Amino acid sequence: MPKRRDILAIVLIVLPWTLLITVWHQGAINPLLAARKASPWHHHRIHESRRDSRNTFTLKKPCSAENNKDIVEVVHTEYVYSRPPPWAAVLPTLHVVTPTYSRPVQKAELTRLANTFLHVPNLHWILVEDSPRRTPLVIRLLRETSLNYTHLNVETPRNYKLRGDTRDPRIPRGTMQRNLALRWLRETFSSNNRHSQPGIVYFADDDNTYSLELFEEMRSTRKVSVWPVAFVGGLRYESPKVNTLGMVYGWKTVFDPHRPFAIDMAGFAVNLRLILFKPQAYFKLRGVKGGYQESSLLRELVTLNDLEPKAANCTKVLVWHTRTEKPVLVNEGKKGFTDSNVEI
Amino acid sequence: MATRMKLKLKTVFVLYFMVSLMGLIYALMQLGQRCDCAEHDMPKDRTISRLRGELHRLQEQMRKAEPTKLPQKLAVKPAQPTIYVITPTYTRFVQKAELTRLAQTFLHVPQLHWILVEDSPHKTPLVSGFLASSGLAYTHLHTPTPRDRKLQEGDPSWLKPRGAEQRNEGLRWLREDRRGQPGADTQLGVVYFADDDNTYSLQLFEEMRGTQRVSVWPVGLVGGMRYERPVVEGGKVVRFHTGWRPSRPFPLDMAGFAVSLKLVIANQDACFDGDAPMGFLESSFLQGLVTMDELEPKAENCTKVLVWHTRTEKPKMKREEALQKQGLGSDTAVEDNDPTHLQAL
Repeated sequence: MPKRRDILAIVLIVLPWTLLITVWHQGAINPLLAARKASPWHHHRIHESRRDSRNTFTLKKPCSAENNKDIVEVVHTEYVYSRPPPWAAVLPTLHVVTPTYSRPVQKAELTRLANTFLHVPNLHWILVEDSPRRTPLVIRLLRETSLNYTHLNVETPRNYKLRGDTRDPRIPRGTMQRNLALRWLRETFSSNNRHSQPGIVYFADDDNTYSLELFEEMRSTRKVSVWPVAFVGGLRYESPKVNTLGMVYGWKTVFDPHRPFAIDMAGFAVNLRLILFKPQAYFKLRGVKGGYQESSLLRELVTLNDLEPKAANCTKVLVWHTRTEKPVLVNEGKKGFTDSNVEI
Repeated sequence: MATRMKLKLKTVFVLYFMVSLMGLIYALMQLGQRCDCAEHDMPKDRTISRLRGELHRLQEQMRKAEPTKLPQKLAVKPAQPTIYVITPTYTRFVQKAELTRLAQTFLHVPQLHWILVEDSPHKTPLVSGFLASSGLAYTHLHTPTPRDRKLQEGDPSWLKPRGAEQRNEGLRWLREDRRGQPGADTQLGVVYFADDDNTYSLQLFEEMRGTQRVSVWPVGLVGGMRYERPVVEGGKVVRFHTGWRPSRPFPLDMAGFAVSLKLVIANQDACFDGDAPMGFLESSFLQGLVTMDELEPKAENCTKVLVWHTRTEKPKMKREEALQKQGLGSDTAVEDNDPTHLQAL
């Protein structure tokens, strides 16, 4: 009998203590744990930021190993909702990705591009500089246009850059910048409810010419839409071949028409949902033959049957692959005749 | 001793029992309730939700502000000078692209009248159709350049001055148009010669609107330099900073000056001399109109570049020509024409 009583006593003593400890555990330990979790992350972020020059909004999610090697980036986002173009909640947003790099005509190109974009409603300009830092010229330009923009930058490592200005078609230019924009889009939009953010992604180089009609044509893209582009492939224009059913079955080009997607960067647009749905799809950086860059992305996204022809079944030219001449600056001489403080 | 201890133990038991019971009840009550999740939220999520709230607020504000803004915009300011932009153009592959992006810039400028003069014996359908759908106020003119003054295939672009006849035609139309409407208001305006391949910032047009006689400003990417500009001292132009033939009376580029309409009408004979030597085209026009100290410097005393003399590459059409020879050329019904190419056939 005393034994049972002893056992009872022990149980009665131990039980409340375990209950108390449990309750206290739940209430107190968790905040402690959270604080402890934050500090190793914070530490990691500081370590990362030493590589970058400036951090306003660092990407936290772990990058894939391949990208980590190539990309050292600084991300800065500014949304400027002010004067026209108006923003309608109903229209899908056009995310226009433009890689750019510093050269004498850069400000001129971006100025007239901005003048075009100011006419397009619900346009979000993602400008990616090929530069280790965001340059003051572009910062000021973007701020003055009052467009809705995101300013990114990533420098192409020297062995991928074109040597001088010779056009070597084997090394694709702007690839890392476009990939960074794709990654930014995936980081920014994946966490939200996809149905509330319809968007179209378009790759617009800074020296091409775009008609306003083009942007309205691409807005109805469900997967990937295509249209003719002027002055590419050594032709007046290249265009997809469309059959009587309104489906794309081939490419009307002279330069390698058997490419999976014989189309220029300016000749297609992708629905944002598809970009988010296939997070591994990027432009291939290494080992891409001339003219195959677009295919390297599109083949991971869509098949030929899924392409939607626009511009009246690909019979109208709404975008021109213009190229600006390199200005002759012979009179600058070695020391520079003009004041370098004046920005051009 | 034993009973006291026993009693003590009993109270301990009772105490413990009560405490445990109360703890159990407390824990059970906590089960159904929401926890205070402030510690679990990441600070970033909180920032995001705060920013989203701000975003919605600002969007609401903007939507409210829009209706009140519009009437202000549409209200035409009384007697705001019209800018008459004279652009010579000629048919080539990139013509439609150049005109398209030029029009996209002009659409942002209020009170602008575009005088487009084609180097052609007649109005081309491409330009007519383009202007009709541009949404701009325009005048469509045409005049062909005499063959001896025309650049031939293979000539470098600097060999002969281009566009002189077309600009003169624009001036002629303008003068004639104003002649039929006497009155001080109709002479309020500025004339600017804009080539179709340059790049213009929107600020430039506001700078030139107040021109009284002839205003000047820097031009980027011209004269073999990053920019050319008039040098201003004491608010007046004293000389020109240019790397090419600075001894010219007006070493300016066509895009670097604007003339008031009043001056154009007052000097009925002022026009461009198509036979002038290379680089003297602008001087041939400005010489009779104004002297250097009368020039009005704009663009913050000629220190900012608001216009760039960009030039567009001629697209390579080797494959097109090869295809044409085979009779498989890209559909010429798709508008994108070039008469020299047709002549080759």
